[in-house]
This record gives sequence, C-alpha cells and structure tokens, in this order.
Amino acid sequence: MKAINMSRRKFLKTSSVVGGGLVVGFAMTGCSTVKLPIEMSDYGFVPNAFLQITPDNTVRFYCPRDEMGQGVTTGLGTLIGEELDVHPQDMEISFAGVHRDYKNPDFGVQGTGGSSSLKAHYLPLRQVGANTRALLVEAAARDLGVSVGDIATESGHVVVAGKRFPYGQFVGTAALLTAPEQAPLKLNADFRYIGTEFSRVDAIAKSTGTAEFGIDIDIPGMHHAVVIRSPIAGAKLSSVDKSGAQNMPGVTDVIEISSGVAVVAEKYWQAKTAAEKLDPTWDDVALAKVDTSTVRQDYAEAMKNEEGVSDTDEGNVVAGLESADHVIESEYWAPYLAHAPMETMNAIVRIENGEADVWSGTQGIVAAQGLVARFSGIPVEKVRAHSTYLGGAFGRRGTLTHVIEATEVAVASNKPIHLLWSREDDIRNGVYRPASLMKIKAGVKNDGSITAWQAKRVGGNITPKTLENMMPALFPGLGDGTIDFMVGLSRDVFASWVVDHSSVEGLYEDYDTANKTVDHVTVDHNLPLTFWRSVGHSYTSLAKEGMVDELAEKVGMDPVQFRVNNTQNNPRLNNVIKVGQQQMKKMQPAEGRYLGFASHHSFSTDVAEIAEVSVEGNEIRVHKVTCIVDCGIAVNPDVVRGQMEGAVMFGLTAALYGDLDLEQGAIKQSNFHDYPILRMGEAPEVDVIIIDSGTEPTGVGEPGLPPIAPAVASAVYKATGQRLRSLPFKLA
Amino acid sequence: MIEFTLNGKAVRTDDDPGTPLLWVVRDTFKLKGSKFGCGAGLCGACTMHIDGKASRTCMTPISAVSGRNVTTIEGLGTPDELHPLQAAWVELSVPQCGYCQSGQIMSAASLLNKNPTPSSADVDAAMSGNICRCGCYVRIKEAVLTVAGQSLAYNADEEIKA
Repeated sequence: MKAINMSRRKFLKTSSVVGGGLVVGFAMTGCSTVKLPIEMSDYGFVPNAFLQITPDNTVRFYCPRDEMGQGVTTGLGTLIGEELDVHPQDMEISFAGVHRDYKNPDFGVQGTGGSSSLKAHYLPLRQVGANTRALLVEAAARDLGVSVGDIATESGHVVVAGKRFPYGQFVGTAALLTAPEQAPLKLNADFRYIGTEFSRVDAIAKSTGTAEFGIDIDIPGMHHAVVIRSPIAGAKLSSVDKSGAQNMPGVTDVIEISSGVAVVAEKYWQAKTAAEKLDPTWDDVALAKVDTSTVRQDYAEAMKNEEGVSDTDEGNVVAGLESADHVIESEYWAPYLAHAPMETMNAIVRIENGEADVWSGTQGIVAAQGLVARFSGIPVEKVRAHSTYLGGAFGRRGTLTHVIEATEVAVASNKPIHLLWSREDDIRNGVYRPASLMKIKAGVKNDGSITAWQAKRVGGNITPKTLENMMPALFPGLGDGTIDFMVGLSRDVFASWVVDHSSVEGLYEDYDTANKTVDHVTVDHNLPLTFWRSVGHSYTSLAKEGMVDELAEKVGMDPVQFRVNNTQNNPRLNNVIKVGQQQMKKMQPAEGRYLGFASHHSFSTDVAEIAEVSVEGNEIRVHKVTCIVDCGIAVNPDVVRGQMEGAVMFGLTAALYGDLDLEQGAIKQSNFHDYPILRMGEAPEVDVIIIDSGTEPTGVGEPGLPPIAPAVASAVYKATGQRLRSLPFKLA
Repeated sequence: MIEFTLNGKAVRTDDDPGTPLLWVVRDTFKLKGSKFGCGAGLCGACTMHIDGKASRTCMTPISAVSGRNVTTIEGLGTPDELHPLQAAWVELSVPQCGYCQSGQIMSAASLLNKNPTPSSADVDAAMSGNICRCGCYVRIKEAVLTVAGQSLAYNADEEIKA
C-alpha cells in the first residue's frame, strides 16, 4: 500500500487541476483558481468537487443539491455510486458548500427545485462516478503491476483474480494521475443500484434524532434572536418602545432591523418572552386596505373587463368555438397558501475577524452566502455557507429573508446569532402560493373531439418576487437602486408584455385541439408570492381537469375514455391514462364510495390518480388513492412511491383545508388550528404504480400533486352532483 | 433550581421555571433531536415522554417536570442500537424531510407501551396529534403496526441491513 505523502499545497494544486473539466454539463471554466469548500483534515483523494476518498476507504459524496425530504441524497448518491461501484448506503454524504462546480445544470445557479435534480444530474453525476472509477482502476493497475483489463470493481473495491483491494489503497497514486473526461458509462442492463430499492441513505439519522437541521446548529457564544415584524407585508417600522423588552432576563440587545425589531438573548425562550413585550407601530402600506373579498372582486372585474397578455395563440379559437356542438364556460378559484414546512425558518450567522459563516437549510445555499456578504459588507469569498438538512421546503426555502435578518442582527449585536421564526411568523410573514382566478371556455363536438380551448388566468406573478429575492443574493455587489429598477422592470414586463409562464402552466397543454388561446391578466396586491409545490400546476390542474369532466359529460362519454381520445399528441400521458383506466375498471368501490379520475403532465412527468371518496353530510372523505406515474427510469422506486404518497397528502391538505384570508392586509390564520394540515386519521391508503418506460428520469417531487384535487372533485360530483370549482372544497 | 431525570441521568437547571421543557432540553442540555414545530401543542414535533407518557413539551413548563422522568428520542435508541420502532422506520424508509419523525416515534413508543397490539384505529387516534407535512402517514402507520405485538426485548444485531 502506498501512503499519501503530499503536502496540502501540492494536493490542492493537483486536485484543482484534476477537478477542472471532468464533466460535460457542469460549468468548470476557471475553477482551478477557486478552492473547493471541502474539509481537508482527512482529505485523502479529491478527484473532483463531488468525491473524496480517504486511505481508510471512506467514500464521501458532496451532494450538490439540497435534501428537503425528496430523497435527493439517496437519488444522486445512487447515480454516482452506480458508476463508481460503491453502494450509496456505504458512502458518507455531506452537503456541498458553495462552488461553481455545484451549479444545477438545469438552472445555471446552485439551487434545488422544479423537480429537476435527477433529470439534471442523471448523466453528469454518473460521468463523475465513471471517470473516478477509471482513475482508481488505472492507479490500481500501476500499483499492482497488472493491466487495466484484468481489474474489476465492486462495492468500493478493486478485484484482481478474485482478490479484493479497497479503493483507499490506491488514492495516493490516483491523485497523481489525470482523470479521463469521458470514461464509458454502464449499460442499463448492468445497473447494480439504479432501479433497485434500499432504505433511504438518511433514514437512520432521521429516525434517531441525529440528522442535523438548521435549527440544531449550536456554536460557541451563540445568542438567540426573535424578530417582531409587521403583520402586513412590506410595512416598515414606524416606532417602538424598546424598554419593555430590554430589561427582561437574559436580553442583551433590542435592535431595529430592516424587517422589524429583533430581541437578542442568551436563550431562545428569553428572547421569545421579551419580544412579546414589544408593541411597535408600522408605516401604512396599500396592502392594508386589502381583504380577501377585495382580491376576489378585483380578480373578477379583471376577468370580465381586461383582455390581458397573450401567452399562447394557436389556430383559430373563435372558429373552433363556432364549429362546436357544445360550448362550456367555467370559472375556478384557488386561494393564497403558505407552505408550512415543519421546520420554521431559521439561520445561524457568525461574523468574526472580517469573515463570516452562515448555516441554514435552503434551496440555494449560494443565496445565503450572497445575502450575508451583502448585509455584512464582508466580501463574498470570505463568507462560508454551510448547508444542513431542510425540515421541509416545498418552495419556501428559496426565499431567505431570515438570513438577511440574522446577518443584520449579528452585525449590530456583534454576537453569533441563531435566529428562529415562530409558526405564527411562518404563516403570517411568509411568501405565498398566488391566489388565482381561472376561466376556461371550451368547445366539443358530439363525437367527443375538442374544437377549441380558451383559457385565462387572473392573479399575481411569482417571477418578479423571485428576482427581488435572488438578485441581492446572487449579485451582492449590485446596488439597491439597480435591483429596484430591474425588479420594477420585470413587474411591468410580466404585467404588460409577456406572461410569466409559471402563472399559467398546466392550464392548456395536455389535451389535443388545434385551436388554443391562453391569456393572462396580472392583478397583484403586493402580498409576497413564490413557488409552492408544483407551482402553477397546483391550481391549474383543477380548472383543466374539471373542464374536461364537464365536456365529457356534455357529450355523454366516459370521462376517462374522453381523456384517452383527446391525448393522442401526448403519448406518454395517454399511456398513463390508459393504465389508470384499466386499474379503475378492476376497482369495486364499497357502497357509498365513488371513484374520481384525473391526470396531469408536469415537470416532464405524467401522473394519473384515482380517488375513492365518500361524502358524509358535508364532509369529504378520501379512502384510497391509486397513483400511476411515468417518470422514466425510477432510480429508487421506493423513493418515487414515497414522493407520490407525500404529494397526494400535500395536495389533499390544499384541496380539503388550505385557505388563507387577508383582513386589512394581514393574514388572518396563524398556526395549525386555523391552517390545518391533513392528519393520520384522514390520510388515504395510497397505491403507486410506476410505469417502467426506460427513458431518462424526470421529476417526482411535485408531479404527484396536481391530479389529486380534480380526482377528488370528480368523485364528489358522482356522489353529490356538485361540481367543485373553488379551492378548498366546500359542499353546499 | 429544578431537578429531573433526563434519559436516565439526573439533571438540574436554573432556567426560569416557566421555560418549556423543549427549550431546556435543546438549549441547556443540548439534545437537539426533539423539534420545535408550532409552540402550541398542535403538531407533536416536540413530543417526549414524561414518566412514559407522550407529552407536548413546547407547552410543558419545566416546573411541571420537577422530580419526573423525561425521555427524548436520544434516550429511545441510537444509530448503533435502534429501538424496534426506529428499525421499522428505517426498513420502511418512513422519513422524508425527517423533521417531525422524532415526535412521531415518541408518540408511537408511548402508544405501544400502553397498548402493545393496537388496531389501525388505535394508531390513528394515538398519532392524530403528530403532523407530518411531507405526508408520510401511510408508512408511519405501517411501521407502528409492524412493531405492534413484537417482543420489545430487542436484539440490535438483528437490525435492518437493507
């Protein structure tokens, strides 16, 4: 065995040269000058940004994406482990720090979302694994004096003539070699881990309380901060009498920050108790005049009176409607929603000797780094950003105002700060799924063909708010004025020129017709908006699927057969519907139970769901859901099932309960008593059928959600004759 | 000064007697497995056992646990020596984000202590105070029912390899 005998300096030089340019699809230019954010104390061999192999044969995978429960550590670990020939459960998994090599190939920035991770990394991470394996094999050939062709690999070992040698034995030699850039990838038939089932790699940590979330970070000298914010978004602090909090036990600082007033104490409960003594006043903002009824009225007027901006215009909708035997027009409503992840927002910031550290569970740790730099004045390269597990995200952890707050408090108090939001803060001071009013007018012939599809949506857009959040984070050096200008510009652009696609996605794509229009009217009341699990699809699916049910009924056709007939242009969706149709035919619901069907394409994945529902009085009970999904190769089928199960529950919470009310600009709801989440007794049994289409993997975190509300609505219609067109569902 | 037993060890604290047990365990005794979720006893993320009974510790002042036995997830089992419930959780890949799971497991353990062979409805009733936002309910229930009726004289060597 060859011992590693390199100075750290030499090692860094070697690894950075080797690390630059391994993989097509990952931006690598110039990274030889940028040090990897990898702990080097037991460094071993670091052939690239993703792997570290030590002489004791520890294989550490630096996971570039954020684990919010979707199973990305298991999934990406499987991709790299497959080609490296190391079982994903045998790897140590660390969350990557900030580096250009960790950018999401789909986004061009280091972020996690859009159900993109497996799709974006399927080939690039396998290539990293394959290149690294080739390098280890080459090193083993040299060290053992055999030819490369005589070497096999399995489970983190080189195998020569039946004898096993751990990879760690060859890392010294490997570190001196240059990795190939395009080592051949395995054939699908040779997969050992992709497509097989094993426990999630994070299951033990998450079943023993040892998984570390942001809230669990505890650093020496740390103080705790609680912030009192305006109940109305955007209202700035007008005045505050700090004396009530200042003299409370343990309190060290009471500080005015950009979002409100922060109380700093030695312990969390001291800060929390003291903060309740504050009674600040806030500046007036336009949102203060807005109630939910204002929103609904403004949307209804815009729907009626405003043409809006065109997103899609195919064929001739007017002629299509004229040629129809029947024309149906319906409106659909979806409210604002909070994400309510179980772990409330938190960030830990330490500023010391002109350098900073930040810990937070985010959907883009690079943004946390940028925000700390911007709000502390410390150069971005002197800010170390540390990822943790995320206690749920669903889109919420892309907005990091809590990192700004923690930075401001750390600067002003000159202490390491742990800042935590309460549940009330989470529900009332968050960023929300936009409310939407949708209208679809569609024509159908007696033979069941759709002649025209005219769709319109009224509501706010999430992209300008996302820019407002991300620009200060990604461009810490950019001035506030420039950012305000660009955010304002994007608001105007999406209000007047082009449609923010996430506002209308899913409203029109799935069904065949030559004549389609989609128009959009932006009406925004300045409540902060953002991505929420499945984004636009979370509300458009109810309108699109509801309309299809109505069209099928009008021509006396089975609604599932109607879907089969009208999805010929989307063969994968068509197949999912057909498999669902076969399943549904086999089902024998008990007396008083009804089956509802819906399907939806989102995030490149096709899903159909069958809900078995009963209605007792005004109560809708969902007993069982059968979910058919085609997401290409299921890298870990059990994780895919878990995501479908979870998305069904998330979508059911929205369908049955999810509602936020504005009262004079403030969110009325505050905690789980008035913003209820589905509980175990209400949870349906879920059967998941994965269609093995053999193509490259597509998203699974979000696509299970859109079909559930319309599937339940369809069943409720059979049970009661009531069409449910408004979320959350309420029976008359 | 309040004294109680935490995972079998005598502890004492001069934290304010009104401080919820959750924060004393997390901030003073540095056991981070029990989580904050709502601060109002509505979600169960903070569940610990007080004298064996599942309790919402975000609402329980430490004055109320003086002289009593408190068990947290850390006292139930460890990665090297999993409690049968934890082993079932791993085998069935129950957790997604995992944040609520300490509380879920503590509620389940309390149920099985009282009722070793619960029905499906018993599990629903006992677990109704624990929210899982990721929606892992189907698996949580399956894991509890898998362990129900098993001997709790458990051999850690037999744990899941999968």
